[in-house]
Amino acid sequence: MEYIQISIDGILYGSSYSLIALGFSLVFGVMRRINLAYGSSLLLGVAIALWVENKLNTSIIFFIPIVLFFCSLSNLYVERFCFAPHNTKAGVVVSMISSFAIWMQLDEISSQLLPDRTHSFPSLEISTFEFGGLFFRGDQILNIFIAFIISAVLFMAVYKTKYGIVLRAVSNSADTAKLMGCNTNLVNSLTFILAGILGGIAAFLVLSTESQVTPLFGFWCTVKGLVAMMIGGLGSLTGAFWGGLLLGLLEAHFSYQFGPVFREITTFSILLIVLIIRPGGLMGVNIYKDLKSRDERI
Amino acid sequence: MSLYFVTILTNMTLISFIAISAYLILIVGEVSFGQQAFFGIGAYITATSTTLLGLDIVIALFFSFMVSASFALVLSVLTVRLSGLYFAVASLSFAELLRLSLYKIEYTVETSSGTIGPNGPEGFQNIRWIFENNISPENFLVIALSSLLAFIIFLIFMESSKLFKNARLVGKDQIVAQSIGIRPFFYRVGFITLAGGVAGFGGGLFALFNTYIEPSMFGIMLGVHGLAYSIIGGLGYPLGPLIGVFIDIGLLESVRFLSEYRMILFGGLVAAILIIFPEGIISPRLVSRIKRKLVKKTNA
Repeated sequence: MEYIQISIDGILYGSSYSLIALGFSLVFGVMRRINLAYGSSLLLGVAIALWVENKLNTSIIFFIPIVLFFCSLSNLYVERFCFAPHNTKAGVVVSMISSFAIWMQLDEISSQLLPDRTHSFPSLEISTFEFGGLFFRGDQILNIFIAFIISAVLFMAVYKTKYGIVLRAVSNSADTAKLMGCNTNLVNSLTFILAGILGGIAAFLVLSTESQVTPLFGFWCTVKGLVAMMIGGLGSLTGAFWGGLLLGLLEAHFSYQFGPVFREITTFSILLIVLIIRPGGLMGVNIYKDLKSRDERI
Repeated sequence: MSLYFVTILTNMTLISFIAISAYLILIVGEVSFGQQAFFGIGAYITATSTTLLGLDIVIALFFSFMVSASFALVLSVLTVRLSGLYFAVASLSFAELLRLSLYKIEYTVETSSGTIGPNGPEGFQNIRWIFENNISPENFLVIALSSLLAFIIFLIFMESSKLFKNARLVGKDQIVAQSIGIRPFFYRVGFITLAGGVAGFGGGLFALFNTYIEPSMFGIMLGVHGLAYSIIGGLGYPLGPLIGVFIDIGLLESVRFLSEYRMILFGGLVAAILIIFPEGIISPRLVSRIKRKLVKKTNA
């Protein structure tokens, strides 16, 4: 019974990882680029939103769109500054480093905006309930549900709509898509805005379950989202969802068995093992067999 | 020279070791987010050998070099099939694993001058080598700077060797390198190992200078700074990484009114420099252009 409870807690906690990994996956899937500033751009969005909210004292219903707006705005800034200038093949690594530099910048701006170590964050106040002797946190159930819906909606959007066709064309070969008349610049910007909205939802849900925000949130987001995506499969939306849950489950068990330091140790050990054995992720393509990934050398 | 200025210069020298080690890995075409861990391992090894074992500083730094290099060797062999992004993330996770395991190492000894030895999250205190040997900050700067210069002169000397030219080719295009009979595997493993050793050596000096080290000092931000320095400096010449160090610490940190916004400015500056110079300030192209001009002048 104890183990079942830990597993449930782990999977529910992992839903936060899934939510963040989805945004990562979207950007990687379309642009074949890793946005390392993703976590801190969400933190900046949240920080500006909290600052605005302090001035205006709005209710939670208005607060959510404010968070989404500023998250997508800061994501757009990252795209324009780090990714748009480096859209050649040689720019893969350069844009990664550039986004890393912007990570530092956004983190610093956020900690200037949130000078205290912790700030309270509006909580959704959904109570914990019991079912057959097991405890479930209501807000985390909501998270997992929304993560599932988001991944399903994204999947539909990418495979069933016209925008999705353009996205996949750009992802497959940006040059060819350009020749066919796609505005790749616009598509990339839209993808980042979409990832920002997605991340805004994720950040809001994660922070409202914690009911506080610290300046470390950006780092936490980037690392956990990246690990969850890499475990699940690079650029695979369903992979990101399941990768997050798996990461949460394993972390919960290892930290229960060996102590809190092992939460982090587990995260990085799993990542290293997955990268060594199956670098494309558990549900992604096998990068040794997939000719395209081999040529790209990303 | 004021003490403040000496401290800034020493910090610049010490962090240059990470920048150079990142540079060495960039030459073979990989990006490592993990050099800070080798720096940390080197720091712990030197601290242990000088305090607990009472070894000479030269032997201690040599141990730091060798142990860090062997950890780097493990990393390079484990990730032999990975490249680019995958290698970057693998090196990051390897480094974080090493750093987190430092939290678990506890071995302390009580002496007359206080507790010494690695003590988990509390860190390693009382590394008293500087005080015991009466080394003034200026003298330490001379030691650190001269060993850094020795490394750089060695690299400049090696730059025209066949080894480095082949390594650059491996970094540029593995398939071309293979087709003319170069085996990328050996170059990759060799350079990653050497880079780990250089970072470990710098870490050893860092431990002696700081007299106190703890695992949280060797977090990802340290490694990324080192990487950013060598990226903006450029891959053309071993002096490139030092330009990055100079811009960040020499310009931004030492100027008082800028230092509060240092991270904001430096982050933006790196991104801006990368837009203007995608290959860094001293890019290979620039170096070959200068070389050609020099050759023309001597011919004329």
